[in-house]
Amino acid sequence: MTKTKFRTIDLTFIGMFAALMAIGANITSWVPFLVIGGVPITLQTFFCVLAGALLGRRIGALAMTVYMLIGLFGAPVFARLDGGFSSVMMPTFGFILSFIIAAYVTGFIIEKSNDTPSVARFIVATLVGMAINYVIGTNWMYVAYRFWAEAPEGFSYAMVWSWMLVPLPKDIILSIIAGVISPRIYAALQKSSSYSQRTA
Amino acid sequence: MINSMIIGKYVPGRSLIHRLDPRTKLLMMFFYVFIVFLANNVWTYTLLTLFTLSLLLLSKIPFSFIVKGFKPILWVIVFTLLLHVLMTKEGNMLFQFGWIEIYDKGVQQGFFISLRFLLLIAITTLLTLTTTPIEVTDGMEKLLAPFKRWNMPVHELALMMSISLRFIPTLMEETEKIIKAQAARGVDFSSGPFSERMKAMTSLLIPLFISAFKRAEELAIAMEVRGYRGGEGRTKWRQLTWSYLDTLFMLSLISLSILLWLLRS
Repeated sequence: MTKTKFRTIDLTFIGMFAALMAIGANITSWVPFLVIGGVPITLQTFFCVLAGALLGRRIGALAMTVYMLIGLFGAPVFARLDGGFSSVMMPTFGFILSFIIAAYVTGFIIEKSNDTPSVARFIVATLVGMAINYVIGTNWMYVAYRFWAEAPEGFSYAMVWSWMLVPLPKDIILSIIAGVISPRIYAALQKSSSYSQRTA
Repeated sequence: MINSMIIGKYVPGRSLIHRLDPRTKLLMMFFYVFIVFLANNVWTYTLLTLFTLSLLLLSKIPFSFIVKGFKPILWVIVFTLLLHVLMTKEGNMLFQFGWIEIYDKGVQQGFFISLRFLLLIAITTLLTLTTTPIEVTDGMEKLLAPFKRWNMPVHELALMMSISLRFIPTLMEETEKIIKAQAARGVDFSSGPFSERMKAMTSLLIPLFISAFKRAEELAIAMEVRGYRGGEGRTKWRQLTWSYLDTLFMLSLISLSILLWLLRS
């Protein structure tokens, strides 16, 4: 982040996308839909990947940073309407941090395509985004237990990963679906006047 | 629901803690996080607990609110406690049952570390309960202002956060409106096969994204029309004032850290 010149529209896009993330994290908690197997799904990964794809890597990653900051500062924007500085101590905080990098990398993958990115590219981008999410989130969890809770011997790295294997299939399926839906949102936004003006 | 989103978890009040400058609260919390790690014996932990409890009492926030803050992290604390109690194999054995062996060192260590967690959460929850997100944002902007020299976009960050906080409720209303509109057209969000529900989701997300992008653009135009051109020389609607109270609280925190340093083993 060496260049710090922002256009006004970048500022508003970032603010709006951070707000969208808050909706994506909790969409199921006030609209009883998309509850699969009793577990309400969050659309955070999905929105995060879209942030990278639609806004580009730099603005997308910044939108995720703003999302993280408003959550830390006390707005209940994280999943399950969580928020406040104590969230840093949650072992799952790594997932929120990983959104920043995931948005950057997916933005990079989408930007690499010459013209309209294909559905396959979007699926690759979302899967990579999800992988980043998991790798950073799980490692953070391990480090959090290891050092903050000063976990004694017998607490292993493999143990943490084995917990994360449970929601993995669900997230892979969701990522692929996100990959299929995102190009449609992308195309719809390209058509709408506000977005094309931005890219022009 | 929408109301709770606007003010976050803030509990309105006029207590001493509420009246503190957000900068003081941020700085105190920041140093507290480090000070907590100074405690390593019974005396230091007692001192820290007393200090934290007096802050909680001064805030005049009903205790149930603070307990609510503990809830999401409770299982982490229980897990930490169990991990130490069951896995530490030092000191004198207190209890043995099959493969379960409990040692006094483990119980002590487990208790201290859970307490450390509890204290950290209490303080961070207190900040969240007595300060609105917008106040924290203002405080951060002021505190980080020196970093502007190294090209850190402090003003821009604070502005983007304010925009975001302002538009969360609006976008929530928008989402509800779209859901109702699509339901009126026959879209079923909550039942039917998985693929159907995914299609229903698309019919919600596309209008939501488009309206959010439209709003962002209108807002940018409105800002530029009113002459927005970055943070240079901009005046503030909400002013922060540093009073003797703030100095007093900062001094109390400094004396606490000196005491902890002297008492630690």
